[in-house]
Amino acid sequence: MGRTTIRLESGSKAVGPYCSGGRGGRLLFSSGQTSLDPEGNAIGVGDVETQTVETLKNLVAVLAAGGASVEDIVKTTVFLPDLRHYVSMNEAYAKFFPKDPPARSTILAPLALPELLVEIEAVAVLGD
Amino acid sequence: MPRTVISSGDSVAIGPYSPGAGGGGLFFLSGKAALDSSGNVIAPGDIAAQTEATIQAIEAVLADAGGTLDDVVKTTVFLSDMRHSKGMNEVYARKFTGGRPARSTILMVPPAVDLLVEIDVIAMIGE
Repeated sequence: MGRTTIRLESGSKAVGPYCSGGRGGRLLFSSGQTSLDPEGNAIGVGDVETQTVETLKNLVAVLAAGGASVEDIVKTTVFLPDLRHYVSMNEAYAKFFPKDPPARSTILAPLALPELLVEIEAVAVLGD
Repeated sequence: MPRTVISSGDSVAIGPYSPGAGGGGLFFLSGKAALDSSGNVIAPGDIAAQTEATIQAIEAVLADAGGTLDDVVKTTVFLSDMRHSKGMNEVYARKFTGGRPARSTILMVPPAVDLLVEIDVIAMIGE
């Protein structure tokens, strides 16, 4: 009831029993995004800045498919396997949110593939 | 602009994020921990004091957004060691009274050696 799922065939395509995002009311929840290309290969192996940029691009694609943009994001959760990548991730991340960045939590956690250095999920709020 | 971002207040974010943001009736807080404004751990190794400080930081952000702990609908508690579960719960139960929010508790790798707990909060505020 009242729920819309977002399915993509491009970079942010879901590769498991989930969709790329779900929307209900004015809220849009994305699945966790990474820097995997549509074939499932990691972009920017060993380079957390490149992976952060590619991950955020994939996130933006999910939001766009649901009618939202970067400015609509209220919360992100960043998953990092290695705390040493925190500063570099932050630098790339900050460029995406130059003004009034969303709330964020950063969690140290291993990811699904060893070559992935960052994963990001987001919640966005759309206009009425 | 459909969303509201809390960009100031007692609780200052120390990275490229805001203390909280919301819209559509929900308000999301950045993950809170027992850190001072310079990023130093408060009460290293003391789960009760850290839980207290973390929830106080949450209350400060909620207040900036016009809410209280009573408005919280979901929390995620990250613990560096499940042996701290009891100590955290005692303080948590004292702070969240009445209809307590839904909660998940996750074991985390702590970002700082002496940091034992971090809490993520979603509240219903506005509309």
